[in-house]
Amino acid sequence: MDGHSKDSTGTEPLVGEWMKQFMAFWESIARTGAEAFVPNGMPGKTQQEKIRKHWETGGKMFQAMAAFLNKPETIEGILKGLDTAPDLLSELVRQSWEGYFDLQRQWLERAVKMGSETQAYSFEDIDQDTFKFIREMYEKEFRKFVQIPQLGLTRIHQEKFNQMIDRHNLFQTALGEFIYIFYVPIEKTTAVMQEKLESMAETGEIHDEFKAYYNMWIKILEGHYMTLLKSPEYTQVMDNTIEALVKYKTAREDFLCDMLQNFPIPTYRDMDALYKDFYVLKKKIREISRKLDSHLSEEPISESK
Amino acid sequence: MSQPKIAVDLILKTLTESTEQVKTRAQKASEVLLGPLETDLAVTPYEVVYEEDRVKLKHYMPEKVTHKIPLLVVYALINRETVLDLQPGRSVVRTFLDKGIEVYMVDWGYPTRKDRYITIDDHVNGYMDNIVDVIRERHGLAQINLMGICMGGAFSVMYSALHPEKIKNLVTTVTPTHFDIDTGLLNIWMRQTRALEIGDVYGNMPSDVMNLGFLLLNPARLILDKYVGFLENMDKRDFVENFVRMEKWIFDSPDVPAATFRQFIEDCYQKNLLIQSRMELGGHRVDLKRITMPLLNIYGKFDHLVPPEACERLTRAVGSEDTEDICLNTGHIGIYVSGKYQAEFAPKIAAWLKAREDHGEKTVGRESTDASAAEKGKAASAGQKASITAELRRPSRQKNREKTVSGKGKTPGKEKATASDVTSAPTGRRRPKRP
Repeated sequence: MDGHSKDSTGTEPLVGEWMKQFMAFWESIARTGAEAFVPNGMPGKTQQEKIRKHWETGGKMFQAMAAFLNKPETIEGILKGLDTAPDLLSELVRQSWEGYFDLQRQWLERAVKMGSETQAYSFEDIDQDTFKFIREMYEKEFRKFVQIPQLGLTRIHQEKFNQMIDRHNLFQTALGEFIYIFYVPIEKTTAVMQEKLESMAETGEIHDEFKAYYNMWIKILEGHYMTLLKSPEYTQVMDNTIEALVKYKTAREDFLCDMLQNFPIPTYRDMDALYKDFYVLKKKIREISRKLDSHLSEEPISESK
Repeated sequence: MSQPKIAVDLILKTLTESTEQVKTRAQKASEVLLGPLETDLAVTPYEVVYEEDRVKLKHYMPEKVTHKIPLLVVYALINRETVLDLQPGRSVVRTFLDKGIEVYMVDWGYPTRKDRYITIDDHVNGYMDNIVDVIRERHGLAQINLMGICMGGAFSVMYSALHPEKIKNLVTTVTPTHFDIDTGLLNIWMRQTRALEIGDVYGNMPSDVMNLGFLLLNPARLILDKYVGFLENMDKRDFVENFVRMEKWIFDSPDVPAATFRQFIEDCYQKNLLIQSRMELGGHRVDLKRITMPLLNIYGKFDHLVPPEACERLTRAVGSEDTEDICLNTGHIGIYVSGKYQAEFAPKIAAWLKAREDHGEKTVGRESTDASAAEKGKAASAGQKASITAELRRPSRQKNREKTVSGKGKTPGKEKATASDVTSAPTGRRRPKRP
């Protein structure tokens, strides 16, 4: 903006001065600390000497680091690195905003469609595109952040945590779609009721009691649900939701079992292994007991023969 | 948009009247809800005579025993057997006791995570077999009567096919045996979704998830209309008591062991092995042709959980020649909770069992040459040296076929299968009785 290149932020002199003052302050602290441990003939002289030497070594290392950091090229390098963080954040925000605006556009399109006629007892026009879009947007834009490879000693635990977050987000999307699909018959029933009321009003068939309208409404709603629940669209959504639930639950259990290993608390997996052993043992014992009883009961009969 | 042509003043007038009614109703309702309510279930006294793990065997004793052979009732793993003893006046158990039948009922208990590995084989050849042997031993009988309900009926069918020598007569009610149908939502959902994985991931199939699934079968009626009905009638004590009892029962659901749930979905709903006699339990094939004892198969015409198509093929698939189908004009639960069908259904079963009490009678002696090793083992385990005979006699051919009656409600309720809302279907194998 002020004619400087992108690589130069114009803050190097300020940062350099700040670094100099910062290093000078800590150098003086280190020197004061070392002098405080000068042997003075009191008991524990050797220990004091050791501590003084540690302070001196620490002070010298600090001086060397300060000299390195005060070099202009070092300061420039650090500042350039810090520059990339805002770029990363702004990219994230940009993607979120674009996704949100796209969603808003879809909602507006749906709102416009609401006034138009809807086909009763038909569920091929369920607006599942919104959820498909949310899922795709998540998978394309946001998922990569939780799938960044983890490094270091705790990488496995970090990965399990990220996996749990990832599966949770996918489950929430699937659940949202599942809940939405149960709302669709209500919407359709309202539209059908409106048409029916209008035609009843035209023919003069007006009921005195609300109960009659309610019965009509519930019957139409029931019919819509019966059609929906048998439809392949619903079965697919249900299957997706169950799949997402199972994956999320598994990922969550992976993470929790991992964490609980640090505590003296047996996990579900530990107990399941124990239960399996119990089950197999009990079965074996019953089998052996049965064979033994059978063997014992045969003996008297064979004797009597 | 044009203005609606409904008279607004009419609506307002109706609203005002309705508000008065609502206010009166609310006052009465608060007296009912805040007052004493009799909502206990399963009040008929019983005794627990056997326990194994979480499973209990309940024994109901009639005042006067007129049936020689006791009846073992096996309910499903979903929901509780207390529906058979809902309240005085609407209790299948009480009706059986009044008819002089000694009743045993399996209480499957509440599975915990430790039961997750228990399979159908464990239920059928483990718990059920032990229970049957306990009853046989208590009564000194070779065979007992067995009645199964819903999934319990499927288990009873499997048991009867694997241990036909221990069952005198078999009654199945709202029992699914043929699962490859498109008329039931459950059948469609279980085949086309991976619902069976839910049990694996939760340890057992959670009861709340199952209850939610059942509510979703008809959300308009079961989630909305039902409670609208309650609001309209909550000033009536009887209604509130019945409603609360049903609510207690419906949402008193145990979890289903994961291994059992998985196998039931895979082998039954997805592969439909049971009706094809290809299902295997513990390495043994469940061959329906081995069911040679008399079979009474009752189901509901408007059953949305187990449609008639899922039930009616059983009588054609078994080896028995004495079979009967009864289709009642009611739903899945209506058979047990409707006072009207209670008057037909339970007495019909009692009469049917009584008529077959002495049929193919087996002698019970202290020595036998034909006793199976398993039976000897059971007797030995009870401390007896004697064994229960397994001498089999081929059941006499009973060409028993009811005429088809249209369910138009012409005659008042009677005990015969030809009562008003009952349709008895021919099972295709026997010639009709000549008058």
